[in-house]
Amino acid sequence: MTDNEHGFFRHGDNSYLANFSESEREVLTNLVQQIIELLAERVDHHNDDPLAAMVGITVHDTPPEDEVLLRLLPNAYADQVDASEFRRYTESTLRQKKQAHAMAMRLHLQEAVDGVIELDHDGANAWLGAMNDVRLALGVRLKVEENSHEDLELLSPDDPMRAVYAVYSWLGWLQESLISALMDESQ
Amino acid sequence: MVKLNDKIEEELKAIFNGDIPWVTIVWDDPVNLMTYVTYVLMELFGYNKEKAHELMMKIHTEGKAVVSTGSREEMEHDVARLHEYGLWATLQRGDQAL
Repeated sequence: MTDNEHGFFRHGDNSYLANFSESEREVLTNLVQQIIELLAERVDHHNDDPLAAMVGITVHDTPPEDEVLLRLLPNAYADQVDASEFRRYTESTLRQKKQAHAMAMRLHLQEAVDGVIELDHDGANAWLGAMNDVRLALGVRLKVEENSHEDLELLSPDDPMRAVYAVYSWLGWLQESLISALMDESQ
Repeated sequence: MVKLNDKIEEELKAIFNGDIPWVTIVWDDPVNLMTYVTYVLMELFGYNKEKAHELMMKIHTEGKAVVSTGSREEMEHDVARLHEYGLWATLQRGDQAL
């Protein structure tokens, strides 16, 4: 995954470019695909009220049990009653917005010509949001809360988490390159 | 004596507490990049680079920072937008301890 040496760079007023190898595009596509599936509506409670479903009200108001999902869809209030009420009215929309970022990224990857990705400002924001969700998900699995970067650097080559950490670091670097290309403009 | 139903009681409470602002808090997170947090604060709130950077540093060094103040409804909107971009945000009444 070292073919891409520059990450994203700015090209003109509202254009950000990056060149990806086929394997890099495969990895990225695979990751956003997993995020899209993860964010699909919860099946533990189905919504019996089609009108409520239409306006984005869900019957579930408890936080997700899965640690990764809980990080992607966190509580908005420390108070459990307020948090539940807020979740009931907003979780469905939040899932859709995050899925939309990931789907935009997947489409860009599919439509890349000769591995070149070209993003406008909105596209760049969608990529940043989606890449960040992937990093949040991987971060939970890597337990970055407890493990320092030094610990993670020292993972044994046969530890499957080592490959996960490599992808996590690479995504952070890619995200950073897109942010500096965007910030360049706002100076 | 007039009997107030819950709805009216809520309304009255809102009228009398209307001057108490609510706050949106962003919490430190080991995954989100410092530059990313700065960028998101600039994008969502229109803060300039200096202000966004200052808030990000406060989040990073103190573990949390108030990033916006306003009505409860406005703060719920801000929290939802911050969650969309993966920042760890909550809201609460401005007169409560952080």
